[in-house]
Amino acid sequence: MARYILNRIIGVIVVLFIVATVVFVIVRVTPGDPAAVMLGPDATAADIADLRIRLGLNQPIPVQYLYFMGGLLRGDLGQSIFLNEPVLTALGQRAEPTFFLTIFSILIACAIALPVGILSAYKRGSVFDQVVTTLAMLSASIPSFWLGLVFIEFFAVKLGWFPTSGYGGPGDSFLSRMHHLVQPAVTLGLVNSALIIRFVRASMLDVLGDDYVRTARSKGMGEARVVLKHALKNALIPILTVIGLTTALLISGAIVTETVFGLPGVGSLIVSAVTRRDYPVIQGALLVIAALYVLINFAIDMLYLVVDPRVSY
Amino acid sequence: MKHGLLGAGALLFTSVSLLGSPAMAEPVKGGVIDVATVGEPPTLDPMTSTADLVGMITQHIFETLYTFDKDWNVVPLLAEAMPDISQDGKIYAIKLRSGVKFQDGSDMTSKDVVASLKRWEEVASRGKQTASDIQSIEADGDLGVKITLKQPYAPLLSLLAFNNSAAIILPSDDQDMPLKKVIGTGPYMLKDRKPDQYIQLVRFDGYKSRSDAPNGYGGARHQYLDEIRFVPVPDPNTRVQGAIAGQFAYADSLPVESYDQVKGGKDKAMILKPFGWPVFMMNTKEGVLSNLQIRKAVQAAMNSEDMLLAAFGSKEFFTVDGSLYPEGFAWHSDAGTEAYNQGNPEKAAELLKKAGYDGKPIRILTSRQYEFHYKMAQVAQAYLEQAGFKVDMQVVDWATLTQRRADPKLWDMFITHSPFLPEPALNGYMQDSSPGWWATDAKHAAIEPFVTETDPKKRAALFSKVQQVTFDEVPMYKVGDFNALAAVSPELKDVNQASWPYFWNAYLQK
Repeated sequence: MARYILNRIIGVIVVLFIVATVVFVIVRVTPGDPAAVMLGPDATAADIADLRIRLGLNQPIPVQYLYFMGGLLRGDLGQSIFLNEPVLTALGQRAEPTFFLTIFSILIACAIALPVGILSAYKRGSVFDQVVTTLAMLSASIPSFWLGLVFIEFFAVKLGWFPTSGYGGPGDSFLSRMHHLVQPAVTLGLVNSALIIRFVRASMLDVLGDDYVRTARSKGMGEARVVLKHALKNALIPILTVIGLTTALLISGAIVTETVFGLPGVGSLIVSAVTRRDYPVIQGALLVIAALYVLINFAIDMLYLVVDPRVSY
Repeated sequence: MKHGLLGAGALLFTSVSLLGSPAMAEPVKGGVIDVATVGEPPTLDPMTSTADLVGMITQHIFETLYTFDKDWNVVPLLAEAMPDISQDGKIYAIKLRSGVKFQDGSDMTSKDVVASLKRWEEVASRGKQTASDIQSIEADGDLGVKITLKQPYAPLLSLLAFNNSAAIILPSDDQDMPLKKVIGTGPYMLKDRKPDQYIQLVRFDGYKSRSDAPNGYGGARHQYLDEIRFVPVPDPNTRVQGAIAGQFAYADSLPVESYDQVKGGKDKAMILKPFGWPVFMMNTKEGVLSNLQIRKAVQAAMNSEDMLLAAFGSKEFFTVDGSLYPEGFAWHSDAGTEAYNQGNPEKAAELLKKAGYDGKPIRILTSRQYEFHYKMAQVAQAYLEQAGFKVDMQVVDWATLTQRRADPKLWDMFITHSPFLPEPALNGYMQDSSPGWWATDAKHAAIEPFVTETDPKKRAALFSKVQQVTFDEVPMYKVGDFNALAAVSPELKDVNQASWPYFWNAYLQK
């Protein structure tokens, strides 16, 4: 076990090094100049050149890379060109909406997907199963931005139940901020539930025909107990995997949804940073996201131990 | 007023409340408004940026020595009055208003003004542009400043009045680059900023307003509102929905296609007319279009009406107009406009033949950041191809476009747009270094008298010669005039239809 954890840690370091290098190269070879964006449309070439010098963008790329990697070793992701603050601070400020949006979305997705997927598998071939399968496919095909705009139109504009966008103003309470998250969370929850439903259904179908399920039934065990305790537990590994991956995707920023709902989260930060070519923010955000991805996957691997005693590392 | 610049042009400043409300009500103090903007400003230092969004927000915090009235005349703001200008037009003696305080409680003096104007010369695009004409900036007592020019330069006061790349006055001790403290003399001060969430401005209680009647950006600035919050809403559809739901007191830059939707919502639709002008800039330095005859062929091929219709849909949102300034501005002139909107591919083909065009593709840079740019470029492509041009349309994001246009080897035409700047000398094409690199003897012969002449009437006549040269030498193709769409809450009174909306003097009335 200890060796496994050590190997994973080494793996994380290698992955992060590769991600850091790839991201650094990609943002530098992408056309566009943060200095030109920052100075506005009427800036002269001389002004842009001056600002590039001040920002250190005139340095040879290998030198910039060494500065970047040196900073990383000290735990410094750099300074945002536009926000004029450390990248970690900028990420910290955006963490709250993204964190709660992820939690609510995944809870909503699981609350829909687990019972529906289980029931659909249990009633395989029934009308219910066919309706669920069709709706899940439909739901997975709906672009989240479109669903978001439909929600805004109906629940915010027509009914006035929610704000159309934003994350609250100065002094707004925690509850008020969470109120702003309801629509985007439901949007993401619905869209992501489709994938989880399909995994739950498929995974449950795999186990419902197994011998131990038949044995449990033959011993006179109630159907609910057979399905929820014996079958579900054995079907959980792929389900946990897909929930973990979905969570990681959401943490990395539900970019489109955050933009549509005007949420100041990590996704919006990345979009703004890409538009403005704020290199340190793009690099830092993607690196942190990569780290979270690896950590979530690691956490899921650990959960396997809990749900399946046959698994060992 | 020796340097008053412009005559008419009041359309943009027409008060919405005058249009919409049956009777004028007494302004009420208090209330908070949310203003939806197109995004997060790249900086809160308007000296270092020419972005409209930066100017729009920070004009509430910082002030300049001069500003513009509703007719785009330069009028005093932090200056007591218009300057005394020496007979030779080289020395500007500026008297400052007494009792003006910065938002940190300190008094504004000539020391602050001199330090700020020197910073402006060093860090602002427009300041650097002016610096070569300035010999010295000196304090003249506590409340006097003397600017000495090397030669007369008429646009100086407009440059000192403009709200982006702005000559804002900062405390002499807070002149850092980048700016560390956001302290101005304006009616509202920065309280809190959460990037991508809001910028919160609150009333500055120590503000000393001018006593003359409000007039455009000039005159008294009443602080009726307690707070102004600028909320970035980058998705245009979401801004529209917010306006329809009445979530914002003011929603900026709405897509014109949403006009009917917005009209049916809780906020009122507001057309900003005329707002700006889209333009194809041409590379006169290198490549195919460095040949004047080929640029003339482009001019002959272009059909403005079709481009404007494709881009804006309804005639409520555009005017087919080749003049560099629309009617209502003192700079309006018809000089050279017979070459505008020809839409004549046959004539263009003949010109191409005479010019010996070798079929090398014209590289048009455009972006979908502004959808109307892209639509116009598509129509232009069709007309140019009909005339026999080969066109290489390069659709890139805005950041890429702004980088590529700086390199004359990478493009032949790019499309951009601009608001109608109150002083023509502020326009990029007037500078030789601006992408396009238009620098000919004929241009210089037209521009030099224009920038040195100080009499406003003579200047207007001289500008028509500048316009004539732009049609003769085709460094650009102005597509027309377009209008913008915003939405304003019916409860928010006295919001003016300004290119850079401001909310002093506005008040809430339920």
